[in-house]
Amino acid sequence: MTRTIHLSLDINGRRYDLDVEPRVTLLDALREHLALTGTKKGCDQGQCGACTCHVDGSRVLSCLTLAAQVEGRQITTIEGIAAENGELHPVQAAFVEHDAFQCGYCTPGQIMSAVACIREGHAGSDEEIREYMSGNLCRCGAYNSIVAAVREAAEMA
Amino acid sequence: MTIMEPRKHGDASDGTVGGRQTRFEGNLKVTGGATYALEYPVEGLAYAILVQSTIPAGSVVSVDAKKALAAAGVLMVLTPDDDMGLLVASDWGGNRPENQPYYPLPRQVQYNGQSIAAVVAESREQAVEAARLICITYEKAPHVASFNDTAAGEGKVMDNLTSGWGDAEAALAAAPVQIEGEYSTPREYHVAMEPHGLTVKWDGDQITVWEPSQWSHGMARSYSEWFGIPYENVRLISPFIGGGFGSKGAALAHGAVAAFAARKLGRPVKLALTRPQNFTNYGGRAATRQTIKIGATEDGVLQAIVHRGASETSTYADWPEQTGAATPILYRIENFSSQHRVVPVNTVTPGALRGPGKNPSAFGIESAMEELAYKLGMDPLELRLKNYADRDYQSGKPWSTRRLREALIEGAAAFGWSKRSHEPRSMRDGNQLVGWGIGCGTFPVIQAPSEAMIRILRNGRVEVVSGAIDMGQGTYTILAQTAAEVFGIPVDQVEVHLGDSRLPGSAIAGGSMLAGSILGAVHKAATAARDELIGLALNDEKSPLRDTGANTLTFSGGRIAVPRDRGPSLTLSELMAALGRDEIEIRRNTLPEGATVQEQHQAWTTMAKVQGPTMGEYSMHSWCAHFAEVRVDEDFGTVRVSRIVSAFDCGRLYNPRLVESQWRGGIIMGIGQALLEEGLVDQRNGRTVNNNMGDYLVPTNADVPHIEVISVGIPDYGASALGGKGVGEVGIVGVAPAIANAVFHATGKRVRDLPITLEKLI
Amino acid sequence: MRDFSYLRASSADEARQAALQAGSVLLAGGTTLLDLAKCGVMEPETVIDITYLSGLGGIEVDANGARIGALAKMGEVADHAGIRAAFPAVSESLSLAASAQLRNMATIGGNLLQRTRCSYFREPDVFPACHKRNPGSGCSAMGGITRNHAVLGTSDTCIASYPGDLAVALIAFDAVVELGGRTVSVDDFFLLPGNTPERETVLKRGEMITAITVPASAAARNSTYLKVRDRQSYEFAAASAAVGLEFEADGRTVRDLRVALGGVATKPWRARAVEQALIGTVLSPETVEAASRLAMDGAVSHGANHYKIELAPRVVARAILKVGGLA
Repeated sequence: MTRTIHLSLDINGRRYDLDVEPRVTLLDALREHLALTGTKKGCDQGQCGACTCHVDGSRVLSCLTLAAQVEGRQITTIEGIAAENGELHPVQAAFVEHDAFQCGYCTPGQIMSAVACIREGHAGSDEEIREYMSGNLCRCGAYNSIVAAVREAAEMA
Repeated sequence: MTIMEPRKHGDASDGTVGGRQTRFEGNLKVTGGATYALEYPVEGLAYAILVQSTIPAGSVVSVDAKKALAAAGVLMVLTPDDDMGLLVASDWGGNRPENQPYYPLPRQVQYNGQSIAAVVAESREQAVEAARLICITYEKAPHVASFNDTAAGEGKVMDNLTSGWGDAEAALAAAPVQIEGEYSTPREYHVAMEPHGLTVKWDGDQITVWEPSQWSHGMARSYSEWFGIPYENVRLISPFIGGGFGSKGAALAHGAVAAFAARKLGRPVKLALTRPQNFTNYGGRAATRQTIKIGATEDGVLQAIVHRGASETSTYADWPEQTGAATPILYRIENFSSQHRVVPVNTVTPGALRGPGKNPSAFGIESAMEELAYKLGMDPLELRLKNYADRDYQSGKPWSTRRLREALIEGAAAFGWSKRSHEPRSMRDGNQLVGWGIGCGTFPVIQAPSEAMIRILRNGRVEVVSGAIDMGQGTYTILAQTAAEVFGIPVDQVEVHLGDSRLPGSAIAGGSMLAGSILGAVHKAATAARDELIGLALNDEKSPLRDTGANTLTFSGGRIAVPRDRGPSLTLSELMAALGRDEIEIRRNTLPEGATVQEQHQAWTTMAKVQGPTMGEYSMHSWCAHFAEVRVDEDFGTVRVSRIVSAFDCGRLYNPRLVESQWRGGIIMGIGQALLEEGLVDQRNGRTVNNNMGDYLVPTNADVPHIEVISVGIPDYGASALGGKGVGEVGIVGVAPAIANAVFHATGKRVRDLPITLEKLI
Repeated sequence: MRDFSYLRASSADEARQAALQAGSVLLAGGTTLLDLAKCGVMEPETVIDITYLSGLGGIEVDANGARIGALAKMGEVADHAGIRAAFPAVSESLSLAASAQLRNMATIGGNLLQRTRCSYFREPDVFPACHKRNPGSGCSAMGGITRNHAVLGTSDTCIASYPGDLAVALIAFDAVVELGGRTVSVDDFFLLPGNTPERETVLKRGEMITAITVPASAAARNSTYLKVRDRQSYEFAAASAAVGLEFEADGRTVRDLRVALGGVATKPWRARAVEQALIGTVLSPETVEAASRLAMDGAVSHGANHYKIELAPRVVARAILKVGGLA
């Protein structure tokens, strides 16, 4: 048998206990073990940004993060950013309004990245937004609308 | 956290056909609530991983799976030694060889990266680790890595793609001005953000497949035929799909492997392709090359076009990427000759990728037209307008609608084309050479029969039910808008159920044919349901509208009323309650009256009933003109697109907000094609070595400028019931030549082989 | 990815002790380790997580220079006001690397140890021959697709290029790596492939990078990092240059010049010949262009990477002209 370790993860303000092999990534822990499938697997190699979530408020790629590495840290996923009453986060609302997605598969990663981008202060101009959102690929090509959505959400923040 | 007030999107007309309604399923997608194929909670899953060939040609002598089978968690290894007892399924046309065995893990190796074995384990991690312990012994055979390989030969002429009229060779020879160029495009890949994969579960001889699909019914048929089970026993579920671009229209070998494994194990199986496997497991756009010769008069009137093209295909199937697809219809041309060959090489069979055929074809003809313009010393816009095609010279038929002239003129105006200076290298900004270019595009209107069901529920909600797919084009939204318009209700009173082979059959979400096809069926069913309701309301003794003397009713503002307010008005739910009805369900399709059950099945599960662009009295196509501005660093050769204006004739737009998104998406993929995308094949072993998203480059946000899109279309009721023409494919067609032409204008260097990477310019 | 055991180190000493074991590897940001473990290139038996250790992060900048803790994140350093002011090339090299997410994960120590992006190195099942992975097995890159491979510092055994950006900026300004018990210049930290391409740095088993120090200089304060690539963002360099320049009091004669190259060599590459040619001179576009060509002394192309020999000097020249106020 392969070895498993017990982890206790703090995700979206909730505590999740799980037993996984040490090699299980945060991405696979979310998707395969915790039924939090909003975080997407696009490449599993750190090359697309679809798996972006926040660890201690900082945007990271969950495909290159071990679940074991984030025990004791605050993890936020796309499921955790709307208000408890279901009201969308301003970035989510702006994405809908600006049609900043088509297939929707890169969208959770884009939104998690955008929330952090604004918080980091890297949404000061369209050019800056483009550069700081470039770690999130979108093959449907919603980039113009993503920039518009991030700009609007940044102006409201 | 700031909570955003719910905002109203424009006015009520946004919710009707042609309105700018925001994406119907938007909230699900921005909250992570949209469930994609690999995300369904299924109890007792086992995980499968494919093992692929590392040689390009030969055969598998043996597969040593001992170590893998001994590894932790491993449940099963499948190899070419396993006879799965499957039969070959029909092709897209519905043709099927009789009783021919199907081997999804074949012994014969025909390309590098072909699936040879599969490992199934308790966890994905265990399957991945065990897969690396499989030891395959091959007997290698000589291979042909690409059509540039000297061993590849000339390939075979595709007779059905040979076309000509007039006397092209003679007219070319007689033309006072001639140009000739060879244009080539490399292998390109879909790179949908969602990788391929599936979860599959058997219940007796019933199978449920959760798999991203552009065509739930067509793919369900493959599973039923492979496994010899009735079509009704297959349920393929695909309500959300993370991009397809042509790659998810057919069931593939890995689906058969997963389904077989699940049946043999007696457990549901999830199989996910790794990102690198997405580059070898199914085909992207074939590499192409084409020679174009154009003859013209000195004042720029085209006299002849001679086109000879070729594309790579596999050694086991002929897939032509038609380099001559756009060539005959973009311009007025009396003498024309075109021929296309396929060259078999050791690759997976190529497939459809956004704008198949038209796309590389337009790269050729639209580059060649600008070469001619420069040879003539003529503005490329003027040359295009001068040779405007008044009809389809290939079919001889009139256009249904063709607003390409308007696209060129309005696009040019918005772009500021009149401020252009003609000479190459004549516009500069510091170290950057600035250039402008035009590329026209086209894509045929294709139609297919479809079926839809409308349900009016007692609570006043209206359901639209169809097996059609939404992969981001906006199917949910436009179907909701259609039903909302017919019933005069807000869009949020409509529910739309899609992406399930158990639901009414539909055209494939491909070839830009879905919206026009399915909207016809939904509109027909919704109108029939409304008529049924009117009949009940006017005749049923329980109806408060019965004795009003009206002979019809109006549906508006959420209420059903007698025309000119001469009586009571009710909401849908009030009327349903008054009638004592729980539900009104109407199913309609767009097949001819009296189609048999077999004909219906054939229509939903094959391409046999698909109508091409010239099968009626008109020639029907979408059109576009792209205007690109590039900035080329004169020292580094790096090209950045700084501006794009594109004008489109796609007929009536069912939802301009979503259409604009699709156009921009196509244009952005075109930017990638022009500047970045190229499958790099190692000639020594036929391996695509940049088989990942870090090395096969697609555009990032920073590569994309603001893109202005303009609609110049008018409703085309020959093209579809509601007047729209195709939207999704045409956007990419013509982008690459617009950029290549702009690069020439900037630098004076004509790059005829894509992508235009920096080493070609320094 | 092969199964491994996971050890969360509670002290640097414990981490070093554990790392002495064969098959053990330190885990910091994980962006290289997990990537290569998934590729099957790295197959650790034990992963020692050092991200919970305190005292290995932090950024200090004073008049003498900067000291950057090994666990400081790339993004943190890139955005640090003191680094931006005193070492713009260092800040820019980080801002232009990878993506915002990766920069939030990857540490400075780990970044130095980033491995090559050679496609042949990264696909062991398809390309078993790789001297770097498996000494003596051969080199699959030679004769293959070499567009991204090195033209400088190559050997008969290996032409894989060093992919990082930060180290290029660091060697330009004589940065030093602290390895616990000893220090070594960043330039000497990296090894040429020679006959032992599997040895990429002087790091010994059980050693750990604890910090990087960069001495302050006028050239570092007036510096830039220029990165040229196919894609505007999120890509490794086709060629890059870190350049710093100090003029004499006359404001035109070069007193100090630092030039280093990335994307073209098997290790971060200091171009001293370019520096020597221009120190003591007054810059002009012509002299800069001529001197920049010296950066390619000894360059050897392997087919498709030939363009780098033409491109890299142009990148160097542009960067020098920029910091020299001539572009």
